[in-house]
Amino acid sequence: MTQPFLSIRGIRKSYGAVTAVKNVSMDIAEGEFMTFLGPSGSGKSTTLYILAGFQDPSGGDILLRGQSLLSTPSHKRNIGMVFQRYTLFPHLSVGENVAFPLRIRRRPQAEIAERVKAALKLVRLEGFEDRMPALMSGGQQQRVALARALVYNPPVLLMDEPLSALDKKLREEIQFEIRRIHHETGVTILYVTHDQEEALRLSDRIAVFSQGEIDQIGTGPELYSNPATRFVAGFIGDSNFLEATVVESNAGKARLSLGDGVMVEGVPLHGGSAANGKASLMLRPERLSLSRASVPSGISVTVRDITFLGNNVEVSTATPAGVDLAVRLPFGHEAILSLARGEQAWLTFDTASAHAFA
Amino acid sequence: MLLDFDKLGGLKTFLVALVVLVSLFLILPIVFIAALSFGSSQWLIFPPPSWTFKWYQDLFVDPRWLYSALTSLKIAAIVTVLSVVIGFLAALGLDRGRFAGRDFLRALFLTPMILPVVVLAVALYALFLKLGLAGTTIAFVIAHLLIALPFSIISIGNALAGFDRSIEDAAILCGANPWEARLRVTVPAIRHGIFGAAIFSFLASWDEVVLAIFMASPTLQTLPVKIWTTLRQDLTPVIAAASTLLIAFTILLMIVAALFRKGRKA
Repeated sequence: MTQPFLSIRGIRKSYGAVTAVKNVSMDIAEGEFMTFLGPSGSGKSTTLYILAGFQDPSGGDILLRGQSLLSTPSHKRNIGMVFQRYTLFPHLSVGENVAFPLRIRRRPQAEIAERVKAALKLVRLEGFEDRMPALMSGGQQQRVALARALVYNPPVLLMDEPLSALDKKLREEIQFEIRRIHHETGVTILYVTHDQEEALRLSDRIAVFSQGEIDQIGTGPELYSNPATRFVAGFIGDSNFLEATVVESNAGKARLSLGDGVMVEGVPLHGGSAANGKASLMLRPERLSLSRASVPSGISVTVRDITFLGNNVEVSTATPAGVDLAVRLPFGHEAILSLARGEQAWLTFDTASAHAFA
Repeated sequence: MLLDFDKLGGLKTFLVALVVLVSLFLILPIVFIAALSFGSSQWLIFPPPSWTFKWYQDLFVDPRWLYSALTSLKIAAIVTVLSVVIGFLAALGLDRGRFAGRDFLRALFLTPMILPVVVLAVALYALFLKLGLAGTTIAFVIAHLLIALPFSIISIGNALAGFDRSIEDAAILCGANPWEARLRVTVPAIRHGIFGAAIFSFLASWDEVVLAIFMASPTLQTLPVKIWTTLRQDLTPVIAAASTLLIAFTILLMIVAALFRKGRKA
């Protein structure tokens, strides 16, 4: 049996009566890009800080190549980290900032010069050695921080929302750089963000955090097409939710009543299967079809608004009960030609692509 | 702005006059003392009948003046070093520590600033008598350290409050142990606060007279004490010369501090 490269086992953290991290476990492969995704207060940053050694867990263990990390103080863990805020040493030049970890490790001068040069080349800041951090843009500073965190070849690189202080355009540019650097160095990266788009763009796998626990771990497509909880369904991608009643369930598939006599069958049901229980039916806007002719199993809606979004068109609709349902149709779809506000329409969907959460 | 200077009309003249008067009030004594130190009159007649360097010669010829100046310098230097080191540690504790009584401690550290100096002097004198330390350099240093420390704690504490602790955390993850990170990263990053602490601590000791009078012995006198005791025996322009040098040195330090602060903004 192969032991996992990095193993987080049952990590808990509580502050008095407040529990920030309840029970977090995962295995991370060498060279993997794993993102902790979740809203603020979901425990993702706390988990990262426990990995860095800045906080001690109340329980659980962290193993790197089978060895527990917890008894090793932060400065001996040999882990790289890029922080949310700019953390370059203000009194040192860019070159000396990147050299710092090597100077601490008392490497020979020639080796330091060579590795600093290589690290700056990696983040495309060659020739910036003598620049002072205060004279650099936020994006450049974070790239120097990345070079400083990688110059000593740490086995694991932690990144705590490193791009949150940057504007959108710069953020996308550096996301691309981070991906490239991940491919070039093969370093294992644990990345914390609350931005699902960033998570999907960067990660091999994503761990979705909610209220101190991991709701689901998987690749972006897995989380999107097969969310395990209502929270994951709502957090990854756009989604509509309809309240429904489980009429019967069998082998993970449910027959649901949506009220007004509308029944849907064969919907994957997650979390509990009590018949006649309440459930939320999740429908992706792009998986909904809109028909202007009455469809027997369709959901009757009123068109509220039509928004042109370039390559697709979003139709806002509402059920008779007043629940908003967004439908996204490709531009030029026949159903929207001459469709007007206030008109009646029917929504249908492939039941296998919908998900119900009890 | 509500109080735009240009729109004050007649009040403007009044305000300018007031500022001039207050400035004169503050500066004239210094000018006066400096002028007297170069005046030829033994009886400190103003304006001086003629000019001379005689009093400065007298000052430098008498080894007791030089000795007291060196004593002042030595005590102020020791106080400065101790005040900065202890002040840094105290400020670090107050900034980072999460313990009961932190606010109380913070207030306690600053009490020497509000406590009447005479009260402090009498109390310390009584204590040092009991400990057999009266009239020693140690007593001098401790007394001046008490009034210098609040300046250090405030100056360094402010600098630490404006310092992002993540920078220190970054240094630790880079492999520096916590004290290495503080000395190699935090201290250089807040050097302006430390420099300010050093200047203020030095000045707090350098021109302090009340505590010094109580701590002094006939053989151990700082420059302000020497001025004071000489003044009680006889009124001579040598005192004016000594005072002028004292003030000149203080102003020099203030200028250095101001230049340093300007350099930080640039």
